[in-house]
Amino acid sequence: MVVGIDVGATYTKAFALDEDKNVIGRSMVKTGFNLAGAAERGYAEVLTSAGLAEEEVDYVASTGYGRYVVPMRDLQITELTCHAKGAWHQFPQTRTVLDVGGQTVKAIKLDERGKVRSFRLNDKCAAGTGAFLEKTARYMGLDPAEIGSLAMVSKEPVTISSVCAVFAESEVINHLTSGTRPEDIMYGAVLSLAGRAHQLMKRVGMEPEFTFCGGMSRNEAFVKAIKHELKAPVNVPDGDMGHFNGALGAGLLALDRVRKLQAAGEWTNRSHRAVQGVSA
Amino acid sequence: MPEMSVTQAPAPQKEGELVGRGRRDGNRLFKEWYAELDAAAESGDPSAYVFVMGSAAEVLKAFDLNLVFPEINSLQMAVRKVSLEYLNKAEDYGYSTDVCGYVKADVGMHLDGRKHPNGRIPKPSIVVATNMCNTYVKWVEIWQRMYGCKVFVLDIPGQRGIGWSTEPGSEQFENDRRYVQSQLEELIEACVAVTGKPFKIERLQENLAHVNRMAADWSAVLKLNQNIPAPFNAMADGLTYMGVLSAYRGTETGARYMAELREEMEHKVRLGLGTIAEERFRLHGVGPACYSYFRRFLELFQDWGAVYVNSEYLAYAGGGLDLGIQFDVERPLESLAEQLLITGRRSMSNMFFSQDQLADTVRDWKSDGIVYHSVKSCRTVSTGMADSREYLTRIKDVPALFVESDLVDPRLWSEAQFKNRIDAFFEALGARKAAALVAAKG
Repeated sequence: MVVGIDVGATYTKAFALDEDKNVIGRSMVKTGFNLAGAAERGYAEVLTSAGLAEEEVDYVASTGYGRYVVPMRDLQITELTCHAKGAWHQFPQTRTVLDVGGQTVKAIKLDERGKVRSFRLNDKCAAGTGAFLEKTARYMGLDPAEIGSLAMVSKEPVTISSVCAVFAESEVINHLTSGTRPEDIMYGAVLSLAGRAHQLMKRVGMEPEFTFCGGMSRNEAFVKAIKHELKAPVNVPDGDMGHFNGALGAGLLALDRVRKLQAAGEWTNRSHRAVQGVSA
Repeated sequence: MPEMSVTQAPAPQKEGELVGRGRRDGNRLFKEWYAELDAAAESGDPSAYVFVMGSAAEVLKAFDLNLVFPEINSLQMAVRKVSLEYLNKAEDYGYSTDVCGYVKADVGMHLDGRKHPNGRIPKPSIVVATNMCNTYVKWVEIWQRMYGCKVFVLDIPGQRGIGWSTEPGSEQFENDRRYVQSQLEELIEACVAVTGKPFKIERLQENLAHVNRMAADWSAVLKLNQNIPAPFNAMADGLTYMGVLSAYRGTETGARYMAELREEMEHKVRLGLGTIAEERFRLHGVGPACYSYFRRFLELFQDWGAVYVNSEYLAYAGGGLDLGIQFDVERPLESLAEQLLITGRRSMSNMFFSQDQLADTVRDWKSDGIVYHSVKSCRTVSTGMADSREYLTRIKDVPALFVESDLVDPRLWSEAQFKNRIDAFFEALGARKAAALVAAKG
């Protein structure tokens, strides 16, 4: 049994997998400011969910921006590699992955074996991320959970041209004072975000099939906007699997590592706990 | 016990003394150079402010002018973790946050009475710039306003046409050579006026001969890094070597240093000595390092077993000596003009045509990938990087990483984002190498 933990900016997700890659447990907790604590809570919850005792866990791989502070990890891997692995597992014809999370947006081009060929990330700016939509919602006094349902009823989305999540506030206020409906502002912001994500995808040399994952893949309005922007079919994992994609990838890479160690005759069942970066 | 004679012949170089000698001696020479500048600040001896690209050191040292390199001063402020104080001073004075960090750190130091962490810096008696960097031309005007010093801008004509089309011997090149040479003659007149010393052509010839030795050995040192493992890290060790290349260009000390460095590197290659325990990845650098977090910048790569085996910066910030240029000392001014044209054009054209040369360098130095470090406050260095990266990854299939921070502005360093990109790059590079290994085994 292995566990993949994705310590993201907003949520910490964990997946437990058996040796046949079946999901046997999952957990999601708010990350907060104590990253190691969030990892421990997520780990405890995933074990409970899977009905596992800690000694039954063979390997733990961590990912996400908090990957280096996961206390029980055997291995840390970037979310780029993990999202590629997870997306390839869920949709084996994937060539371009788009992951939109709380603070980052990533476009990943895969080769024919599902390995990362190139990638692009937003840089020093949250305007292209989930945080941008959350701020936009808050400026209008809305709960972020309402973003998707509200934006879906928009009939005349307005252009949100701001390139900055902070300066977007004045633009939103300007629209509100002009009498624009909140749903049109919200969907305008969603479309703006989708446009940015599309630009990032173009820069990695996007090719179909496209797979969209990350927390924002659960937002129905954003999924609609991405499909509209790309004018092509987009794979979107069912339910919350898009949100768990990084943790899934980490779990799958943990399984790969266990098999590699076993093949090399170096497997000693969690006695190998030297922390290292992945190399294959 | 009898006392050991001080005239005893030196013992043969010990293994431990030879390895690392270049770093040790380089650091010592650097301290001595700053000590000389400090002494010049005290005595008022004439000094020339120059730039690492197109310093005309050969001419200036024929007049015994102390050379001050403002770019090196700014870089050193960042390495010593004090650049932000100087940047703030310049911004308080009115300079925009978008202005080149080197310029602002330098302005801050001048506003602070030329007190540099390495010692006092003398006032400029003369300033020599070229048009190789567009900022140089505006930077020198600041000192002119501050000190009323003489400013001399060498105008290096750019190449005509696309690609690398400098053609020594052609009629066009000869016209340009005469144009540059006439400017050098004017520079000599200016130096005579500033120093009150006569121009002696044999001093210039002597300096050119020193550069010839230095360039031949430096070119050889760079090529030695084609070996696996590489005997030096082009970003880490390279910074020390570049400092000596600039500060001691045209001197016997500089020429001897480079010969000894070559000896050290040949020794390391013979013994198979690299810079880290296991050289897993070989990198080529484009753009400078982030000097505000220099150690951390290097660690983020070294932690993955990566070594910079070459760097474009060594070519340009090293004054173009990587080509192993050789002056014809019998035609000193003509030859100096020719080489200024050749090396100057190479640096000016690089932002447009770097890609094919980069691909060749990656191949010859057996690099696994290229790291582009874009400098937020320097568009001159950063322009063209994105296109170059596209070309090399898509057309030449060279893995590339693109990161951005700054030379000297610590506010533009974001370690979490930097590290995430670097880690992901090496994960992908590791997978690529593993796949290539499997394919090679059939």
